[in-house]
Order: sequence, then C-alpha cells, then structure tokens
Amino acid sequence: MGDTVISVSNLVKSYSDLRAVDGISFSINRGEVFSLLGPNGAGKTTTVEILEGVRNRTSGEISVLGEDPERSRSLIFKVGILPQDFSFIYNSTPKEALEYYRDTLGASTDIREILDIVDLADKSSTPFQKLSGGQKQKLGLALSLVNDPEILFLDEPTSGLDPRARRNIWTVIKTLKERGKSILLTTHYLEEAELLADRVAIMNKGKIIDSGAPMEIVERHHENDKLVIRGDGEVESIVRAGGFQVQRDGAYIKVSLKNIKDATEIINYLYERKAKFDDFTLKRESLEDVFIRMVGEIEEDEAE
Amino acid sequence: MRPSRIKAYFILHAKSYFRSRSAVFFQIAFPIILILLFGAIFSGSSYSPSALVIQNESPSAASWGVVTAINDSGLFKVQLIKQDVNLSQYINSNSVQAALLIPSNFTANLYSGGHGFVILEGHTNPTVASADYQTLNGILTQINFREGNTTQKLVLSSQLAIGNSGKTIDYYVPGLIGFTVLSTMFNMVYTVPNYRRERVFRQLSFSGLTKSEWIIANMIFSFIMLVISDVILVSLGIYVFGASLVLTAATILFSGLIIFGGLIFFTSVGILAGLVSDNEETVSVVGNLVMFPMMFLSGVFFPLSFAPHYVVTISKFLPLTYFINSLISVMDYGNISSVALQILWLMIGSVVLFGAAVYLFSWKQK
Repeated sequence: MGDTVISVSNLVKSYSDLRAVDGISFSINRGEVFSLLGPNGAGKTTTVEILEGVRNRTSGEISVLGEDPERSRSLIFKVGILPQDFSFIYNSTPKEALEYYRDTLGASTDIREILDIVDLADKSSTPFQKLSGGQKQKLGLALSLVNDPEILFLDEPTSGLDPRARRNIWTVIKTLKERGKSILLTTHYLEEAELLADRVAIMNKGKIIDSGAPMEIVERHHENDKLVIRGDGEVESIVRAGGFQVQRDGAYIKVSLKNIKDATEIINYLYERKAKFDDFTLKRESLEDVFIRMVGEIEEDEAE
Repeated sequence: MRPSRIKAYFILHAKSYFRSRSAVFFQIAFPIILILLFGAIFSGSSYSPSALVIQNESPSAASWGVVTAINDSGLFKVQLIKQDVNLSQYINSNSVQAALLIPSNFTANLYSGGHGFVILEGHTNPTVASADYQTLNGILTQINFREGNTTQKLVLSSQLAIGNSGKTIDYYVPGLIGFTVLSTMFNMVYTVPNYRRERVFRQLSFSGLTKSEWIIANMIFSFIMLVISDVILVSLGIYVFGASLVLTAATILFSGLIIFGGLIFFTSVGILAGLVSDNEETVSVVGNLVMFPMMFLSGVFFPLSFAPHYVVTISKFLPLTYFINSLISVMDYGNISSVALQILWLMIGSVVLFGAAVYLFSWKQK
C-alpha cells in the first residue's frame, strides 16, 4: 500500500434515481498511468471530479495521497488537473495564466520550461480566445503542471481534437509518464488508452466491468483473431479444405482463427501445396474490438 | 485568505481587462461621453421655479408684503395654507418639495428692529432646494433694497442641505458617479453566470484561489477603476463645465467612503443576481431587470424633482437613489451630517450583502 497514491472503495454517486457511479473500487500506484475507459455517460468524469474534490460523493471511501479530497483543501496544491472542456479567461495569454497559477499555488516553476514541454512557447502571448482547440488543451495541460504535481488528473485530454493535435498531446503525456508522474486518464478513445495506460478500468453505466493491463484485457476477452492472405481462388479452396472459416474481401481472404498458433499451421500448409499467395498479415483483436463487444458501440454524440 | 493570491488574480484580471476594449469603454469612456453630453446640454441652465407652499403664522403688512413679492415675482406658484395646519405633516403627506414658513415671531422681530426670519423646508431634492433658495433669497434681498434697509432685515433660513450654485451640472456629476458604481453591478451580473457556464470558476478553483479572494480581488480592481473614472468625471465637471462642487478633505473622504460602500453593495447585488442566471437569456433578463429601474428611476440621468409623483415613490425603493442623494449632499453642499445615517445604513447593507454573496456563491458544480 506504500506505493498507492489513489484508492477508491465502493464509491457511489447518486442523483435522485440515477446512480452515476455505482460502487466502484480501484487503486493507482505511484508512477502509473491508469485509464478509466468507457462510453459517454459511463461515470468517468463524475469519478474523476469526486477525486479532484469538485463534487461530493454519496458514499464510499476515497483517498488521494492519503487525504480525503472532499475535506482537504491542501490537496489542490499537490495535484494537477486538466478538466474536461478546459476553459480560461478569454483575454488572458498562456504566459499570464501560468504566472497566475505559479503565484497562487506558491510554486517556483520556470514558466518557459513548461511552455516548452507542452510546445506552446510560440503562443505564449496569444489571448486564450485566439488559440486553437489543441493549443487550448496544451495550456490546460501546462497549468496542471505548474505545481510539479505528484498526481495528474487528465479528463478527456484529447476530446474533440484533430488527429495531429491528439498525437501532440499524447507525446506530452508520454513525457510526463517518463518523468514518473502518476496519471489518472479518462478517455473514450481506445487507441489512446492502449497507447498510454499501464492499466485500464473499463466503465459502463457507473460500474467497472473489467480492469487490468490493456493486453491482459484483450487476452481475456479476445474471440476472433484473423489471418489475412492476399491470394486467388486456389488459396481460398486450400484453406477451406483445411477446415477453417474463410471470408473473401476483394483480393484478400480472411481466415478466422480459434487459436493464434493456427496461423503458422495454415501458412506451412499453403507452402507445402505450393499455393501462390503474395502477402499475409496476422490481425489480432485490439482493445477497441474487445471494448465494443463488452459495452457496445461508442456513440460520439452521446451526452456525458 | 491569502493576500498573495488576491494580488495574483488582481494582476491577471487587470491585464485581461485592459485587453478588452468594450470593458474599458464602458468603465472609462462611456461615463466621460455622458458627462460631455450632459455638460454640453445643461452646463448653463438652472432649474425652473417650482411650486411653493407658504404658511403665514404672523399675519401683518410686512409678512403679506413678503408673500405678495414672492407671488408677483412669477418665479413660484404660490399656494397658501392655513395657520392651523401642521406644516411638517402636510409636507410629508403631500410630498411637498418646497414650503416656506413665516413664523409667529416674524412681525414682532422685524418691528423691534431685529431680523425677520423665514424658513424654507420640505425639499426632497437638495439640488432643486438650492435653486429655490437662491431665488427666494434674491426676492428677499430685493424687498430689503426696496424698503431702503442698509442691512439685510429679511433673512431666509433653511432646514435643508443648501448648495451654492444650483447648476444642473452639479447634479449630473454625482449622478454619473452613481452610474459608474452601478456599472460594477452590471459587470458581476454578466461575469458570474458567464464564468460559471464557461467553467472558468472551476479552473480558478484549481489554482487554489477561494471564492472570497476572487470577490475581493474584483472589488479592489473595480474600486481603483472607479477612482480613476470618477476623478476624470469630477475634473471635467469642474474645469470644463464649471460645476461648483464642495471639495474639502472631509467631503472627498466621505465621497470616497460612499463610493466604496456603494461598490461593495452593488457588486454583491450583482453577484447574487448573477447566481440566479443559468443561461444567456436569463442573464440578459435578470441584468436588465436589476439595472434599468435603477439607471432611470434613481436620478442618474434626470433630477427626481422633475419626475412624476409615482416615479419619486418608486425611487424610494431603489438603493441607488440613496447613494446618489448622499453623494449630492456631500459633493454639492458639503453636508456630511445630514447623510451620516444614510452612509451608516449603506455600510451595514454592504456588509450584509457581501456576506450573503460569499455564502451563496459556490465554486462547486451543482
């Protein structure tokens, strides 16, 4: 328990008849990137806001750096927060915002260094309202770093950003991870969680339905790995004769695998029969495939 | 509460504020435009004569001579009331703005070689009182000259705050200062729901700033801006339009006190009004509902003495009326003692409303 920076036990948050968070438990270790993954409305943001001290819980036990965020005011000086839909005073520049945070949080951070980390130095004097969506998120991230926090809460940090801006934010988060920060990341981008998180907890309708390292979750729930071969009708016939399920997709055939080792067997079988095929790829199920099967399609426009 | 955090937000707010052209325009430029406008229109004018109720408790040739002279001047619409009527009650029940009492010892004093005092009372608006006082004094002086008196035998005494020039611009300077103070409320009515909707408050809370620190930083900044804009207003009033203001150390101090109390009062009202607004439409409705009655019915843009009776009645329920009247008494007439109680009430109201604003204002999401 010495390395646990966040612990949550039987956390419940109710709004009249609705249980937005329904008895979840998890813990986060020091230096770990932990991701709450789930569709909109799963209860991720509510959970994070309770841990940030922004909302009060209905019941359950929570501890952030050994303190209860609902009661501790000093905690705000030890954590960094990038909330969902980050916004700031429209006419303030990133430099002014960072200087303000440094002064109110009593930090001695070098503002230029933070601007460099988030790659925002060239926009340091641009008013907030004139920054692009990605630059605004970078500023939010920069503000969360001013007090050199032990824990970072990043709530949907790349939501609504274009792919390039999203990758820029990922680079920053990877840098923070390398610097040993503990990070609680919520996202509904599966790729993001798979790329950045050491462990994920999949939330749906206020409950955690599974948790662990992304690959562990894939291993536990994968059903349908595929071998994709570029080949003609003869190749297709040979594979079918081997008793495998085959589906043609243009110049390719997709072979469903019950066991990943079957892929080697099929390729050897084709070589033995001197079948003509140009290329083959093993396509394993991703976290996204498993996630969609577990909680259903993510509806982008669904309200949080 | 940490002064360093208040200072940090003050600096952030100030830099952001001066980058906003509309904010600077409404705080500084707009009141200046108003005083230039009103000053240009009204700087040479005085008030029209008003109705004057006269009660003669000392009937004699001399006293009736005074009444006749006033009536014949055409400067007042004279209305006589009987001796047995209680003048104070009559003034209150009929909202009389000007009443002249010729006391029972008037004739005896005059004939025994002394002074004949007449007393002016009943005004609700000191500026109009000043104009009436000047006019009446002029009439009494003329009677003195006509009677060949070498000394002023007829003396006008007043139970009102009497000013020194009676110019309309004297009235507009405190009125426009009232407008600048009211604009701080306007800022809050719009800022509070806007910052809540845009989640700026949530972000500020992550910086360690508390809600009371945010309110105080805003008030300090607004007070500095008020001092700047009000000094400009007073300077323009005096040096461009010839306003006659009583500027002594005491009146400046008390004017500052009234403005400071008004700032806390109206900023707190603005925060409370902003709390009931959830979206842009209700912000606009609440903002206008709170602002416009005070702007137009408290005597900012026109003297209440010109207004119909029902407007005067409504104005008594609007706090800005008392704020402006206090400023007029202090700045135009140097009369601090008559508004001491009003200033005390303003301060008490400010403290209560500030407490309510801090208590009800919440960073947290509902």
